[in-house]
Amino acid sequence: MRRDLSDVVLAGTGRLVRVFVYSTLMLPVVVVAGASVTTTSSLRFPPEGFTLGWYRAAYDSEPFMDSLRTSTLLALFVTVVAMIVGGAVSFAIARHEFRGRKALEALLLSPLVIPAVVLGLGLLQLLAMAGLGRSPIGLVLGHVVTALPYVVRTLVASLALFDRTLEDAAASLRASPFRTLRKVTLPLLAPGLVSAATFAFVASFGNVTISVFLGFTGSVTLPVRIFASIENSYDPILAAVSVLVVIVTLILVVASERLAGSERR
Amino acid sequence: MKGESREAPPLASIAPAILVLAFGVMVPAYLLVRTSFSPGSTTEALPGWTFEQWVKFLGDPYYLYSVFETLVIAAATSLACLLLGAPVGYSIARLPPAKRRWRMILVILPLSLSLVVVVFGWLVLMGRTGLINNILVGLGLVDAPVRLLFNTPIVILVLVQQFLPYMILTVMSVCVQIDPVLEDAAASLRSNRLATIRRVILPLAFPGLAAGATLVFVLSAVAFVTPRMIGGTRVRMLGGLVYDQVLVILNWPFGAALATGLFVIVLGVLGLSNVLLATTTSRRVARHAS
Repeated sequence: MRRDLSDVVLAGTGRLVRVFVYSTLMLPVVVVAGASVTTTSSLRFPPEGFTLGWYRAAYDSEPFMDSLRTSTLLALFVTVVAMIVGGAVSFAIARHEFRGRKALEALLLSPLVIPAVVLGLGLLQLLAMAGLGRSPIGLVLGHVVTALPYVVRTLVASLALFDRTLEDAAASLRASPFRTLRKVTLPLLAPGLVSAATFAFVASFGNVTISVFLGFTGSVTLPVRIFASIENSYDPILAAVSVLVVIVTLILVVASERLAGSERR
Repeated sequence: MKGESREAPPLASIAPAILVLAFGVMVPAYLLVRTSFSPGSTTEALPGWTFEQWVKFLGDPYYLYSVFETLVIAAATSLACLLLGAPVGYSIARLPPAKRRWRMILVILPLSLSLVVVVFGWLVLMGRTGLINNILVGLGLVDAPVRLLFNTPIVILVLVQQFLPYMILTVMSVCVQIDPVLEDAAASLRSNRLATIRRVILPLAFPGLAAGATLVFVLSAVAFVTPRMIGGTRVRMLGGLVYDQVLVILNWPFGAALATGLFVIVLGVLGLSNVLLATTTSRRVARHAS
């Protein structure tokens, strides 16, 4: 290989860009985590001193803990619904050639690019027309729609790589369709299912763009509560609450990577 | 296989999804467009049809400028993500799978974090008593803390950070499919890295680059949390204006007109990108065939 000056410059620039990108990606999280342990009454980064008092305050705060419960329950429910609905339609898309298949797939992925303000306001109007006001149905529907693209994309991709001769082999060994599904199809799909469910959960758990339109007065999700609080004041308690959101997400992402990753090997 | 495409859709398994899409996407989208043609300025959509909201939107330089600003910010974000994200996506694709893992987590984690946490981090970092201001004052570059927030460049920076993972993942997924043998071949033909990138990698990765750039453009064009919180009232992206109309001013018909305008822009950009991608691909195929 010929190496000249441009190669050296290029390699240097490449390294610089990578360092910049990786550190910028993690920057906001590091700042929030650091600021959450400051002993000062206003946010500081780097923090002054070290205290877990703001976590204690967050834990004692009724509104924040209420919202954490709401967000967790909502995300769990949304994940279950999105996995059932998305799982069924992914099987249909990956295994059947039917009219309108491509259109259906495009429509399923569309919430990824449809402006949240469009879905948010549209859903608000639908609820108003149906006389459901600000009922949680809107929130659930909005979140399921946002989670579906991730579920469908992941499952269709893993089904495309699925070797169907294994199912045929099970069937030829006189396994019943249900037994084949339970013993062959689902275990082989496990990594895809785990990733899909994780994506659905974190998409719902962290969502603020749809929730902000549909948050009903009874319960407010945690991201919306943080969003509303930031507009008023920068309290270190907000940093502590944000770190709780990060921890929930981090545990799920790393656990799912472990699960899905170890299955692959 | 040909005969199978005439197969009837497996209704039982697609019906739930159709139901969710109908009530979660199609009906709301229709209601939105319909309301943009309704008279009134409250949360109640009055019956009747009128162009009143659209005349107010398209006849006012304030809103037209907001469309312009939205497009400029989205284009700048998309370009910056392309320049920063493409090399990273390529480098991950060329790593052995064992080394790929932690980098993938580094890329996916910010993507899965709640947007408010990310934006909050930037607010703390860039605030009057934040780290950046402390460094600037400490180095003697400025005498007193300066206002770093509430301007367009900082909004673009935060949007870039927020959407970089999409670009990295899109480019990576295309680059893993490019056989490294092609690059070795170019190198053995005494092509330097720059020439290899220009002649081999860029043309082959083009669909991924275009898809990533389009996705980031669309995602930033519709953003409203970041421009509102980081940009304040000085940066007037269309999404933020919709938010204000719907939840602060409570003028749904006008908010619906602005939202529909944003929707049209998004569909236009997606359509344009599809057409461009199709023509460049077919032209390239034609060139190879001749």
